[in-house]
Amino acid sequence: MIEASGLTKRYAGALAADSLDLDIPSGQFFGLLGPNGAGKTSTIHMLSTLIRASAGEARVAGFDVRTQRLEIRRRIGVVFQELALDRTLSAAENLKFAGLLNGLARPEIARRSAELLEIFGLTERRDSPVAALSGGMRRALDIARGVIHQPKVLFLDEPTIGLDLPNRRAIWRYVARLRATLGVTVFLTTHYLEEAADCDEVAFLSSGRIVRRGNPRLLVEQLARYIIEVETDQPAELAKSLEPRLGVALIEADRLHFLYNAEPADLGSLQSELAAVASEVRWRRPNLNDVFLWVNRR
Amino acid sequence: MIARAVFAVIERELLKLRRQRGRLLAAMVRPLLWLLVIGSGLAAAQSARGEADYQSFLVPGVLGMTLLFGGMLAALSTAYDKESGVMRMLIIAPFEHYWIVIAKAAGAMIVALMQALLLLVLLALLGFLHHAISVPMLAAGLLGTALTSASLGMLIAAWSGTLDNYATLMNLVIFPVFFLSGSLYPVQHLPPLLKLIATLNPFTHGVDLLRHAVVIGADGAAFSVTVDIAVVMAFSIAALGIASVRFSLDGVNEPLVRRLAQ
Repeated sequence: MIEASGLTKRYAGALAADSLDLDIPSGQFFGLLGPNGAGKTSTIHMLSTLIRASAGEARVAGFDVRTQRLEIRRRIGVVFQELALDRTLSAAENLKFAGLLNGLARPEIARRSAELLEIFGLTERRDSPVAALSGGMRRALDIARGVIHQPKVLFLDEPTIGLDLPNRRAIWRYVARLRATLGVTVFLTTHYLEEAADCDEVAFLSSGRIVRRGNPRLLVEQLARYIIEVETDQPAELAKSLEPRLGVALIEADRLHFLYNAEPADLGSLQSELAAVASEVRWRRPNLNDVFLWVNRR
Repeated sequence: MIARAVFAVIERELLKLRRQRGRLLAAMVRPLLWLLVIGSGLAAAQSARGEADYQSFLVPGVLGMTLLFGGMLAALSTAYDKESGVMRMLIIAPFEHYWIVIAKAAGAMIVALMQALLLLVLLALLGFLHHAISVPMLAAGLLGTALTSASLGMLIAAWSGTLDNYATLMNLVIFPVFFLSGSLYPVQHLPPLLKLIATLNPFTHGVDLLRHAVVIGADGAAFSVTVDIAVVMAFSIAALGIASVRFSLDGVNEPLVRRLAQ
């Protein structure tokens, strides 16, 4: 559904995206992860035909991003980081406007908009102006706006940014329902990594390059069985002295992270042993944040 | 397909006009102030002619003014769309970006025409339309002036990013365009330089068309109908063309896209 090879975007000499290769099958939930400024948004804009690639090529829904922009735009929905809604219009009016811009007939818009308002829990607020909706409702409406024309691919650029936890969870429930009902391919960018745990595949972007990719569960499993965190006021020295036993440490301020693959039974003795030099020792299962930290380790 | 999109943009402008009745009221007060207050004042200053005469002369001018301010809404509303999220909806929609220019210009034209028609009704009720009126000429004048104003608005919108920017441009553009247009005084009697500028000003020719329609007599139109229509059409096509090219340029959209996406 989305294929890219050598996709590159250069801004005034700086590389926003550096020869990206993508192959995202139909129906997949794909997450492009990385810190702010890693090139996630530039990638979405190239794939959604809003900006031109400096080099490389890409096809979305079978069409070329350089030469078949309108064909692609008919088949994609884009939810930008900032809302794409008219604050003065009501929820239903915004959906109608978006539907008409996509060339849908009015009866069809009425039907889909009723469905979407239902999915996104906005049926009761259909006539409220956007300005009167909460942040979470606005974002939900914005996603509904992005899928009013039943796109094959939905680009979600940091869709939960600025939302509180209940609203973030609500957004993910809506996206899950959309995927279940429409079978839409979802291309997500986020830096809330726990939100990408449900993705079928994720790719970690760092300074415009994909540095690691795979199924998030597998990536976490492959990283280590446990993460040991050691807090100390002498991180560099302790890292060095523990290296022969625990391997290379990831140093994060006064905290050391170690990857641990042996039996958990040994952890108890390790803890008492370190009690003298460390202010705190704990171990836990790794998650995507750990993959991210280890991938970006310098 | 594209018709639905263009119509949606126009419909949205009309919806906003209906919801912001104050705007419609303001659009009526401004020209009436000119006509009744400044018109009377200036007429009193020039004792040679009667008050009624100068006010009749001003009628096309204030109609033109309403259309100019209404048409410039194209620019204001496009600037608003860039600042709010609506431009994001427009740029991701499946049509070429020059359609945004066409749809916004058409929307502004229609809103401007509605305001001008309402003003016409008020003028008729106040007894300012006592001359014989040529209805086809009036229609041509209203359409031509609305088109010129909306095209000028889109030309500005293509270059202005934010609303702050827009306010500056309004002041730099709208008043010179209005004052140097023959709306307030006959172009024929202006000093040579100002006369040249007024002749080159496309808005002059829109107002001149209106003058052909509603004023008969010595201070009538300054140019022939053919010249007026030719200038209005040439300017509008050129302005909309340039605005469309600029809206379609990647180099222009990229900063916009990047800013919109942040």
